[in-house]
Amino acid sequence: MRALAITERDLRRFSRNPIVLIASILMPLVYLVIMGNSFQGELKHLPIVVVDQDNGPYARRMLELLQAIQDGPHTLDMTRSSDQRAAIEGVKNGFYKGALIIPPRFSEDVVKHVNPQVGLFLDNTDSISAAGVSSVVSRSMSYLKSGYVSVRSTLAQSQFRPVELYKKIDYDASLVPGIIVMAIFMGTTFTGAFSLVMDKFLGIHESYLSTPLTKMDIVAGIIISGVLVTTLLSFIVMMGGMFMTGVKLAGGLVSFALLLLTIVLTALGLLSMVFVVLGRADHPRIVGVTIGFLNVIFFFPSGAVYPIESLPGWLKAFARVNPEAYAVHALKSLILKSTGFVAIQGDILFLLVFTAVMLCIATATFKRTM
Amino acid sequence: MAYAVEVKNIVKKFPSVTAVDDVSFNVDEGEIFGLLGPNGAGKTTLNRMLTCLIKPTSGQANIRGLDVVKYPVRVRRNIGVVSQAMTSDLDLTAWENLDIYGKYFDIPKTRRHETIKYLLETVGLANRAQELVATYSGGMRRRLEIARGLIHKPYILFLDEPTTGLDPQSRRVIWDLLNKIRKETKLTIFITTHYMDEADFLCDRIAIVDYGKIVVLDSPSNLKRSIGGFDIIEMLLSNYTPEVEASLKAMQFVKNITKKDEYTRVYVTDAAKAMPVIIEDIKKMHGSIDYLAIQKQSLEDVFIHYTGKTIREAEAQKTNFILGAGAPRQFPGGRL
Repeated sequence: MRALAITERDLRRFSRNPIVLIASILMPLVYLVIMGNSFQGELKHLPIVVVDQDNGPYARRMLELLQAIQDGPHTLDMTRSSDQRAAIEGVKNGFYKGALIIPPRFSEDVVKHVNPQVGLFLDNTDSISAAGVSSVVSRSMSYLKSGYVSVRSTLAQSQFRPVELYKKIDYDASLVPGIIVMAIFMGTTFTGAFSLVMDKFLGIHESYLSTPLTKMDIVAGIIISGVLVTTLLSFIVMMGGMFMTGVKLAGGLVSFALLLLTIVLTALGLLSMVFVVLGRADHPRIVGVTIGFLNVIFFFPSGAVYPIESLPGWLKAFARVNPEAYAVHALKSLILKSTGFVAIQGDILFLLVFTAVMLCIATATFKRTM
Repeated sequence: MAYAVEVKNIVKKFPSVTAVDDVSFNVDEGEIFGLLGPNGAGKTTLNRMLTCLIKPTSGQANIRGLDVVKYPVRVRRNIGVVSQAMTSDLDLTAWENLDIYGKYFDIPKTRRHETIKYLLETVGLANRAQELVATYSGGMRRRLEIARGLIHKPYILFLDEPTTGLDPQSRRVIWDLLNKIRKETKLTIFITTHYMDEADFLCDRIAIVDYGKIVVLDSPSNLKRSIGGFDIIEMLLSNYTPEVEASLKAMQFVKNITKKDEYTRVYVTDAAKAMPVIIEDIKKMHGSIDYLAIQKQSLEDVFIHYTGKTIREAEAQKTNFILGAGAPRQFPGGRL
């Protein structure tokens, strides 16, 4: 089969440039390390300053609750101060994320039920930290009158007891499906259409355009080599990512086969799509700009780092036709939830249709002449 | 019997220029046919139409009777192509380059490997077969590409400026290689070049092209004969007066006189007989000869005769045309 000769040529060329392959594997893994540790899910060690102007029993109770949060989940790093002005200045100067001012007669107001209030000055230029501090303080306020009681002995008191359906998943582990998709996309940036563009740029394509190779031979040959390389490197990234985050693949051979199917289909779909976009480009600079653009518009609304449900309406609508969103969903289901085919059948169907359409367009629009 | 190449009124227009303008010619089987002309004359465009890389705007071209537009796949099986740009894969070895190219033509493995061995021997690269092409010189790469063009045993080999950018020794090696291949295989070779000596050395027939048209087509010897078949006596005269020129022109065997730089070129029917008479005449007119050489007519003279300019001048004019100016531009650092 003539197309396989093109595939063989590309694979030999890639094997002579291992640096590109290594960089393509390292990049998603570095992304996992940086991104996974930058957004840890839970906020920790937010510095706040507390000024207790009350010194009453409920003020002390409030401080005890905050201290408990500091010692327990380490959400806060609390500093005590007696100078309200200096505390607020400290927030302004960036030493603290918030200043909690417990006013005089706070305890008295609590006892008399006359709307007791505390002041919380927040550095709202950092909205994530500000929301975190605010949440912790308001929680402490709500527990203020609950007393030191055991949950078991106060049957009348309602409790919130979250039940997690899946084993606890750290934020970095939840990124693994996303970085696999990223690795697949990385593969499309230096295989597939990029090989063709480089051939055109170097004039090499003239040599195979003057042979009996058909349009389909050329497109298929280039895409097959891309799929092989991309699948290999995304598997290495997947294993690396799972090792680094402690995620284990459950479900045995069936899960593994479904995983392979998802990765191959995603690679095929993305390579075909990039071929449609870049099949007529003739300069690597065009590839650089286009790939950067495509990466942003497909990766971020894919659900890899942020839930699709929380996106604005127009971006949610785009996510419905975004192949990476289906790939991420399928990979999350297989890797993090250990589900079977039923959970991913919609994703597989979409990826199949998407790939078929893109392959047809890529072949139809590919120019066989110079 | 069908011609190896048959071109009828072929035209190729690009948005801003007509690159090939109503060209017709035939190439016989086993012939080495050359398209000679300056860069930008339309040679590569014509070559690409014949090798199915671009489609003609109008007209027809047949390769061994097969229309290049209607039957491109069959045409490609009949031709080998060596492009102007170096198109061998730098990341592959010579063997891999040939092996993969052979697969494009569905050549069975055993036959493919035998052919590769033979071709690598023929082009003198057998001992470097397993080295990456990235380590090759320009001449070696070109020889590899000629071998690649022959992997499927084509009937016609198209070479577009095969020695451009090569040093004189490498050019000579390529010429000898092409002559050897032609002798051994009776291959038809279609070559485009802007080197006069290359066309003169290799080609059975030459078509001189300029501005997309064939100006003249014939064998190198006939072309030279067609402009008189003259010898040229080139002289540097220290006292070249109008009287001297008039006296020379009056001689029966003097056919033309031109000036090239400081040199006077006298075109005569037979230099051996004419030279003593001319020297004597100049002495009588009190002229003195500081330098004298006899030259045979070259294709450069043919080119000048038919186009009115040297090939270098033709290329310079085209460069200026591309830059959008009729005359050479003045740049702060000097003339372009």
